[in-house]
Amino acid sequence: MRDYTIFIPEYIAAGSAVGIIGIELFWPKFRKDWLAYITAVAALGWFVAGLFFIGKDPNSFQGLIRSDDFTTYFRLLAAGIVIVVALMSATHMRTRTKTVAEYYGLLLVAGCGMVYMAAATELLTAYIALELLSFSLYILVGYLKRDNLSSEASLKYILLGAFSSAMFLYGMSLIYGVTGTTYYEGIAEGLAARGPGTDPAVIVGMMLILAGVGFKVSAAPFHMWAPDAYQGAPLPITAFLSTASKAAGFALILRLFTGALIVDAAEWRWAVAALAAVTMTLGNLVAIQQSNLKRLVAYSSIGQVGYMLITIAAIGYGDAKVGQDASSALLLHIAGYVIATLALFAALTAAYNRTGREDIAGLRGLAETQPFLALVITIALFSFAGLPPFAGFATKLFMFQGATTDELLWVVGLAVLNSFISLYYYLMIVRQMYLFDPIGDVGRWKVSPVLWCLAAVLMVGVLFIGVYPGPVFELTERAAQPLFDAAGLGGVQVQRP
Amino acid sequence: MGAEEAWLLAAIPAGVFLVLALFGRALPRGGDYLGVAAILSSFLLFFVVLVDFLDTPGKLGPVVNDIEWSSIGENFDLRMGIYVDPITIVMFAVVTTVALMVNIFSIGYMKGEPRYYWFFAVLQLFVASMLLLVMADNLLLVYISWELVGVCSFLLIGFYWEKRSATEAAKKAFVTTRIGDVGLLIGILMLWKATGTFNIQEIIHHVEEGGVGQNYLFAAVAFVFLGCMGKSAQVPFHVWLPDAMEGPTPVSALIHAATMVVAGVYLTARLLPLFEVADGALLMVTIVGLTTALLTGFMALAQTDIKKVLAYSTVGQLGFMFVALGAGHPAVAMFHLMTHAFFKALLFLGSGSVIHATHHNQEMDKLGGLWKKMPITGTTFFIGSLALAGLPPLAGFWSKDEIFVVLNDKWGAWAVVILAFAAVMTAFYTTRLFIRTFMGTPRDKDVHDHTEESGLVMTGPLMFLAFLAVVSGFVVFHGVGKALGFPGGITEFIFLPHHGPHKYHFDLAWAAASVAMGATGLLLAGWMYWGNSTKRSTQLAEAQPGLYDLIRNKFYFDELYQAGIDRGMLGFSYVVSWFDRYVVNDTGVDGSAQVTGFSGGVLKYLQTGRLPNYAMAVAVGVVALAVVGLVVRG
Repeated sequence: MRDYTIFIPEYIAAGSAVGIIGIELFWPKFRKDWLAYITAVAALGWFVAGLFFIGKDPNSFQGLIRSDDFTTYFRLLAAGIVIVVALMSATHMRTRTKTVAEYYGLLLVAGCGMVYMAAATELLTAYIALELLSFSLYILVGYLKRDNLSSEASLKYILLGAFSSAMFLYGMSLIYGVTGTTYYEGIAEGLAARGPGTDPAVIVGMMLILAGVGFKVSAAPFHMWAPDAYQGAPLPITAFLSTASKAAGFALILRLFTGALIVDAAEWRWAVAALAAVTMTLGNLVAIQQSNLKRLVAYSSIGQVGYMLITIAAIGYGDAKVGQDASSALLLHIAGYVIATLALFAALTAAYNRTGREDIAGLRGLAETQPFLALVITIALFSFAGLPPFAGFATKLFMFQGATTDELLWVVGLAVLNSFISLYYYLMIVRQMYLFDPIGDVGRWKVSPVLWCLAAVLMVGVLFIGVYPGPVFELTERAAQPLFDAAGLGGVQVQRP
Repeated sequence: MGAEEAWLLAAIPAGVFLVLALFGRALPRGGDYLGVAAILSSFLLFFVVLVDFLDTPGKLGPVVNDIEWSSIGENFDLRMGIYVDPITIVMFAVVTTVALMVNIFSIGYMKGEPRYYWFFAVLQLFVASMLLLVMADNLLLVYISWELVGVCSFLLIGFYWEKRSATEAAKKAFVTTRIGDVGLLIGILMLWKATGTFNIQEIIHHVEEGGVGQNYLFAAVAFVFLGCMGKSAQVPFHVWLPDAMEGPTPVSALIHAATMVVAGVYLTARLLPLFEVADGALLMVTIVGLTTALLTGFMALAQTDIKKVLAYSTVGQLGFMFVALGAGHPAVAMFHLMTHAFFKALLFLGSGSVIHATHHNQEMDKLGGLWKKMPITGTTFFIGSLALAGLPPLAGFWSKDEIFVVLNDKWGAWAVVILAFAAVMTAFYTTRLFIRTFMGTPRDKDVHDHTEESGLVMTGPLMFLAFLAVVSGFVVFHGVGKALGFPGGITEFIFLPHHGPHKYHFDLAWAAASVAMGATGLLLAGWMYWGNSTKRSTQLAEAQPGLYDLIRNKFYFDELYQAGIDRGMLGFSYVVSWFDRYVVNDTGVDGSAQVTGFSGGVLKYLQTGRLPNYAMAVAVGVVALAVVGLVVRG
């Protein structure tokens, strides 16, 4: 059945994207920061439209796209991220480039790509959604075209992105060759019907797919693009990269691995566990050596991806119950991580607008010149480090709890150790802000009200999830539910020995 | 209002913290009166809780009050709440009393300091977190408040952040205790994994039913104990506490003597049933306690900074408490915790009074002869010193004496000998501290001339604490306890459900031995330092230069750790970073665009051959995964 109503929220987003580009096209004098606010309002409309889908019966469009609570969760997340990033960009982009309409339009389009990565239940649809997000990001990363660093980052990102897309496609074609279908449901049945014994095509196909999505979430050793892209991109886009792009990658992974590949879990789960261990260790250790804030955040977020991958491995090792606990905990962690990251970047953008420096030493004495921003940054960093009572502690705790199966104890132990290491470089930043005098003789300065409110709201969010995660966890549990009873897979859970 | 509402004790200071942090700067006098009022109301509420608790029909049964924190699915039900039992009551008494005294004292001590309001704000947050810690009914809440008190400690040690030594000390304290905290978290998760709950009583119940294997339980308990060692600064984690003396002195009194550092003792006492079930855990606790008491006793001998001496003595006394726990007697440990809190807070505040009066002079070499100038501080300090030295009838005597008795019962003579040696040293350095500060003739005339007794806002708390240092030991007696409404002496009041009360009985032989230890140290120190003479001590130091250097440099623990961090952790991270940068060719810390930007455009940059290496990393990753999947596992 073709039910186009499930696309209504994205009609709003994509329509606004075209509208915004049109405004600048026909009315070039239109104030650039107002375009940002229009984008935020459009995204808010998108968000509100998304709210109507909460709790609705799952609905599938031709077996390609599924609208259920899982999709809705990522839809709300995407809209929320776009709102924040658009507001963050308002003054930041106005001073740096002449035309900004494409920037905001592509932001909305990238958000749509994220939603359909979560919603796709067919490989080619998933691939197209992934490319929709990626292509938007290629342009956004290189948006400051007069900036060498930005252009370089974009070009590298495009080339490596193409390379990893090729791998993803090759993996898809191998799986298609074995199962004869690209629908997740069909793949699951095809893999279950396959005879016993190792099939190289399946293993190589899965590893290629893993590399493709691993690239998207920047898991080591597919992470090399991330520090460069993070550093080169405009600051709000760095925020978008480290939130939306990662969340989208995990949405695709969750849908694909629980829906299609779960029946052959034994073939990929060890690889995910290994990737998790390598990713978190590498991310955290290399982060210690960084002096550029954006690169540091890049490596720190690579470390975070390592923690998140543990839950994917747990889905492979555990039964449906473990899988469901782990997935809902992962969704909760993503929410906490996204909010903390956005809070960090809202504060960093405000500081950057003032100082124009993006190395760690640029934050010297921030506690004296702008104590509020220093507080927000500290709270966000402590949340990343998993200190109570901030979001990162509660969400990581739930995540590790959900993921603690006997086979994965060692990775969880490694993750706890890594959290401790990460505290070292987070404290380096805190030290710069609180323990050193500001450079030069600068007095207190004011933050623009928009950024101030944004940072304040996000900071409260970090504290709320940290102190009382119950309500949010209930939401994420509902969002994870459809993964495990979708398409008749509820009771099947075929596990190969 | 009853014991169920004990959470109010923590809620009031927490609320005042918010008010002070947000508006303190604008309030007259930085809102210090709000801080005192908050602690005072917690202090008064404590008596309401106490009376209600003693009146509860189930005679000293625990009072529980909890709410649902997060409940998802059937097997994932997290409840958070409070648990009030005699151990909690004792901790309430200690924390609220000392906090009140320290708050009042700080009004005088911190007068005119920058960020005055911030000091009081953080103090409120600390008291709230500490009270939450001691009434938490589950390990998750314990861990949260455990970290919160750690953060407060970090903030207050680094209070004078203009001073580099203060910021370094704050960082050291935070990182050192965090190492223990990682252990604590692992231990908590292990206990949760084995029992399926965070609730302390349920975990204990589960373990006592034999639901957890021996080796697993020992590992879990050892990890939890690692956290306790970090917080309570036991060897080898003791290095942070002496440095923490960089904080304002009232903070040292409250956080680094009376309350936060005893959190490790508290948690071990709370979980002692687990230690008893796990084979060898009690011995581990005893050995850690004995080692600490002995080593820090030595370290304190050669310190010349008043607060450093007291800091090492605190670490040593915490060792005494762990020894009592290792002997399986939480009541004795809690008793010593209480008396120690009072007399050590007294000593710290007394040293604060001296430091304040001498305009921030805390080197004993520049002090001396202060008794006449500061009679109240001197007298109260004298009482505190005797209590620390363990002489009757002061509080420290009764609790220390009891530790020896239970230690002998459990582990026998070898342990007693070690601890006795530590006790002699305690008396020795305490006497040395007192003589060098208050007796003799002034060594620095200038400092001495400008010294005068502190005002009542500072001496008042000193006198009150001195009073407690004299009388608080008597609660051990049956009659005194009865008069206060307890079922008997304090050791009969505090007991774990399955233990049964521990009856205190006065043993003359042990008391005499205990007095002898105190007297030996006291007389030895008197012989060495009386009358402004350092001739004998200098002779001793010159006769044994190697030993003196070893003690003076605190057994080189700090140097050892620094080398470990430099060569180990940072070295390893450097290697990985180097690998990431050169072997698989990351562009390096600053990005290479600046370099290549000059030399002409992006395309040229591409020819430098780095991008292909990025792709190579991806390809190698995939091939490696596929090979492992096909060959190794296939």
